[in-house]
Amino acid sequence: MLQYAKNLLFDPIQALGRYSQLLFKAFGAVPEFNTYRKNLWEQMIHVGIDSMPIVMLAAAFSGAVTTVQTSYQLVSPLIPKSIIGSIVVPSMVLELGAVVTGFILAGRVGARIAAELGTMRVTEQIDALEAMGLNSIGYLIVPRVLAGIVMFPVLYVAACFVGIGGGMLVGHFGGFVPMGVFVDGAREFFQPFDPIFGLIKCLVFGFIITSVSCFKGYYTRGGAEGVGKATTEAAVASCVLLLFADLILAATLL
Amino acid sequence: MKISNELKVGITIVVAITIFIFGVRYFEDLPLFQTTYSLTAEFDNAAGLIAGNLVRVHGVSVGSVNAVGISDETGKVEVQFHVDRKIIVTEGSYAVVSGIDALGAVRMDLFLGPRDAAPIPEGGLVGAGEGNDLFGDLTARAPAMVQKFDDVLSGLDQVLSETGTMLSEPNSDLRSSLASVRGSVAQLERLLTEERTRISSILRNVEDATGSIKTLSAENGPSVTKLISDLSVTMATLDKELISLGDASRGLTELLNKINEGQGTLGKLVNDPSMYHKMDSTLTGINALLADFKANPGKYLGEMKLVDLF
Repeated sequence: MLQYAKNLLFDPIQALGRYSQLLFKAFGAVPEFNTYRKNLWEQMIHVGIDSMPIVMLAAAFSGAVTTVQTSYQLVSPLIPKSIIGSIVVPSMVLELGAVVTGFILAGRVGARIAAELGTMRVTEQIDALEAMGLNSIGYLIVPRVLAGIVMFPVLYVAACFVGIGGGMLVGHFGGFVPMGVFVDGAREFFQPFDPIFGLIKCLVFGFIITSVSCFKGYYTRGGAEGVGKATTEAAVASCVLLLFADLILAATLL
Repeated sequence: MKISNELKVGITIVVAITIFIFGVRYFEDLPLFQTTYSLTAEFDNAAGLIAGNLVRVHGVSVGSVNAVGISDETGKVEVQFHVDRKIIVTEGSYAVVSGIDALGAVRMDLFLGPRDAAPIPEGGLVGAGEGNDLFGDLTARAPAMVQKFDDVLSGLDQVLSETGTMLSEPNSDLRSSLASVRGSVAQLERLLTEERTRISSILRNVEDATGSIKTLSAENGPSVTKLISDLSVTMATLDKELISLGDASRGLTELLNKINEGQGTLGKLVNDPSMYHKMDSTLTGINALLADFKANPGKYLGEMKLVDLF
């Protein structure tokens, strides 16, 4: 019992320490570009371009649904229809574009990274890399985290573009709000900082998802079962941390 | 040809950056390819204007607000905004902040100066104009209106409560008035019930009378018409007579006027007192003569030799 309480208290702190140590080593390995150059492009394809269709699909639907539901909620004749645009565009740019993409990446990319690295760990491929004199952290973790940081904003831009476009189209052809009115409303309340804030969020989310998944995968223990556990934990921890980061960023930067 | 991973990633990133920049410019209401024209305006009160609000000329969006801040030098609100290069902002232009802050729909209306005036240079200052828009006025006057509305409501409240008191008090005027009204109505009702037969007979009589009049007028239509035409002829004759009577009376008036003025014999007779005096003296003389004649008839008769006559 006491042991359990001790674990409950110390395990997260110990994990945080190991996580920081891993990140520290990874940052140290960033200058060794040649070690991970080839891996970086591959990871960028996996993280970014391969995720593009699912991210765009989810964003288009969230934009469309936001438009439809906002127009459903705006029943007062005093409120102009353009308000739908003023609500949908900032919600997409500030929140949905980043968070929907984040969740999809946490599931798709986080799990993949954790499974990959976990399998490499349990099949002792990482040890083999070390034995070959390669910096395994520089070779495996740095390209993945960098790919996340670089490609997440790209996915975010795609998500916003498709989401706003989807909202606009559904609003127009669904008879909720004409396109011109939608754009007018969006322009009325558009803050140039909103997309910048979205990009900042994306950089943070990209870093969190990839680094947490790498951490979970890199320190996998216990065979196939351990790989499964690491995969689940990577996805869940990425999502939870992403939500916390979202709140902290909104509270500090907005 | 196999596209390398580097190229794929590079193209995706470039496309994303392009979409990002153009998207932001699109929603900032900046033209996608041309540059814009930055200007500054100073206000005493920004009325809730924030960066991103639209700038309009004659109601057309031509740009947006970049930044709103308090100027260190003048202490006024300094608004930096941009408009399309196509809009030529000349000297004499002014800006007005309008819209309701509470609805969030604040914007800046730009009123352009005369077309032939010199354009304001890039970054130049545009004057502030007086707001003349309905919502602004409403916003400014809202507190007074609310106060008045409050007064009216409290007055209404008082009236209602007094009415309530009056209604609830058994001896109040209103109650007694209502009771008497009710009594009157009841009496009227009773009357109507009791006299229903009479009322209906009266109504029947009235109906009969109007019916008779109707039949009468229908039957004797031609004679009534003749009567009326005769009457109108008579009236016309009478009218003529009256006109001649008028003439006569006018003549008479003239005559009387002349008499009054002393013209003519009659006038002199009426107006000249000398005749009266003469007649008076004559009559006095006749009186004296008659008295004398009574007293001494012989004096006169002696001369006449009355007897000689017979």
